[in-house]
Amino acid sequence: MEGILAQLAAGFVGVFSPLNFAALAVGLLIGLLIALLPGLTLVMGVVLALPFTYRMDVTSAVILLTAMYVSGTYAGAWTSILFRVPGEPIDVPLLWDGYAMARKGQAAQALGWTLVAALVGGLAAATAMVLLSQPIARIALTLSTPEYFAIIFFGLASVVALGGASLANALISLFLGLLIATVGVDDTYGAHRFTFGVPLLADGIDYLIVMVGAYGLGEVFMRLELGFRSAPLESVGTAHTRLPRLKEVLALKGTFARSTLLGLIIGIVPGAGATVASFLSYGTEAQYGRRRRQMGEGIPEGIVAPQAAATSSVGGAMIPLMTMGIPGSGATAIILGAFLLHGLQPGPQVFQTSAHIVYTIFASVFVAVIGMCAIGYFAVRAMVRVLQFPEAIISAYVVMCCVLGAFAARNNITDVWLLVVFGVLGYLAERFRFPVSPLVLGAILGPLAESTFMTTMISFGNDWTVFFTRPVAGAVMALALVTLAIPLLRRLRQRRRIA
Amino acid sequence: MRDAPRLKRLLPYAVVAAATGFLYAAAADIRYPARAGVLGPDFWPKLILALMLAVCAWKIASALLWRGHGEDRGVLEEWMETSAAGHDGPPDEPAPERRFWRLAGGIALSVAYVWALPRLGFFGATAPYLAAFIALGGYRRLGALALLSVGGTLLLLFFFMKVVYVSLPLGQGPFQQLTLALMQLMGIR
Repeated sequence: MEGILAQLAAGFVGVFSPLNFAALAVGLLIGLLIALLPGLTLVMGVVLALPFTYRMDVTSAVILLTAMYVSGTYAGAWTSILFRVPGEPIDVPLLWDGYAMARKGQAAQALGWTLVAALVGGLAAATAMVLLSQPIARIALTLSTPEYFAIIFFGLASVVALGGASLANALISLFLGLLIATVGVDDTYGAHRFTFGVPLLADGIDYLIVMVGAYGLGEVFMRLELGFRSAPLESVGTAHTRLPRLKEVLALKGTFARSTLLGLIIGIVPGAGATVASFLSYGTEAQYGRRRRQMGEGIPEGIVAPQAAATSSVGGAMIPLMTMGIPGSGATAIILGAFLLHGLQPGPQVFQTSAHIVYTIFASVFVAVIGMCAIGYFAVRAMVRVLQFPEAIISAYVVMCCVLGAFAARNNITDVWLLVVFGVLGYLAERFRFPVSPLVLGAILGPLAESTFMTTMISFGNDWTVFFTRPVAGAVMALALVTLAIPLLRRLRQRRRIA
Repeated sequence: MRDAPRLKRLLPYAVVAAATGFLYAAAADIRYPARAGVLGPDFWPKLILALMLAVCAWKIASALLWRGHGEDRGVLEEWMETSAAGHDGPPDEPAPERRFWRLAGGIALSVAYVWALPRLGFFGATAPYLAAFIALGGYRRLGALALLSVGGTLLLLFFFMKVVYVSLPLGQGPFQQLTLALMQLMGIR
């Protein structure tokens, strides 16, 4: 414990070095602006920022992206409360009580509750992240390939079970992602797979191209087809933040505790993220909260529950990334990409070989949470003016960031062609209700899934039952299968009820 | 005619199944020095393709045999709907009209841009692309368009070549001369 605190203290010193602090400040500002703009999601923002980090050192690069991730869960609440326009899906539950409070003339109080919820949720989850990471990393060191495969399988199963309008479509998306990951020269045999004679495909398709294309360009094409129409905004007026009193905050300690814990757990589960945390936490409060009957009428619990859970999910999502090198969400996948670009593989070993980097990043999460709340307190009115900027211009520059990100990865124009292909694919997926997240997560986790599966098969003489007979692997696989079965069981139950 | 909506619903799965079949044939062609008792590099992609084919077959069969209208929806969508029930959502507005020509224009512009990039260089291709894309998006103030496209391109050129050290395409012939002249003006070596 003392060792962890000493390393964290050194991490705080590292965060305040000029370069790291500048990266953090820039990340916070851009993250807040991106969360405000409809059509730009926090994952997209983190994706687009990646090429700007190529020349940074690994710590500054990850600090910048993490700051964007943290602040991306916060600023969208402002537009939900003030204009009834959610910046992104995370902020939809904030409409229900946030806008209702604003309509009663309590917009300043609603913004104050959002700030306190983000602060409490963010700091509590960051503390849990610091305390849990080292023990989990120690456990991760004892795991073998069957357990790693089981954990990856669980991540893929949960993204399918959660995702979208159709389980079948989510599965097809996932398989497509896994297939994209197989393109190129196989590591063991040197065999060409799906390269079709194109030399650059022999190096494989970088998952960053898939992400930038599907999330960035695909979304721009979608909104271009709709003519970049955003909801008309009411006047910003005298928007400001009024913080609740300590007594009022303490009266909601149960809501704070429930939602923070829920956000943290959902963040840890691969495939789930801030949006799931926000909705589930609101739903839990509406079912079990002390004032559940008044939810939706404009009470602070309806703001605290989704906001605290969304921000605390960031701390949770960082745990599997740092301790096992498994990204559970789009944003953590990009952060993993930043690590790999700089030659550092997150995982249990990194706590021994590069502990100073890990703890500087951990410390930056605390500073980022406090920093975003400070900016939120002083600059709400100035920042929401960004909504008046024409979306056509923002989107054109988003495309530019996509192109530069794809080109800079390998300095090759073929990657830009692939970007356009994945942009069109992302558009088609969205249009025909095939969720994009399983495709992206499949492309990210595909190589790891294949290598752990094949290594297990080689080590255990092609005995696939090993995934079910070893205690940890078996338990995780069972959990994954239950997760996959949930949508089917719900459907059966609904059918029976109708019958 | 009565079956038209059902066939329309089946179409994406039939297309995916056909593509999967093609890729399975390609996977069967993967050449490698086989070792006895060890799975080859074709095993994993074949496994994925087989599962994909099974999902497509399930969807096609359920639509044809059981006229399955309902969907096995993801848990998230159900949670969202349950939580949202009875609450005010974002303002009700008529759904914006989809304009295919705008989408087709955007894709065509992007394809032309990627084609032009190595030929016209970053500046020569990006400035017109930005102007055209912004105009296509509905913003038509000429002065601002010129400033945003030319100024924005110069700013990106400076940032990526001078600060991030990304070697952006210079172009060919006179366009290369133009890019080099601009780089010299901005102090990029």
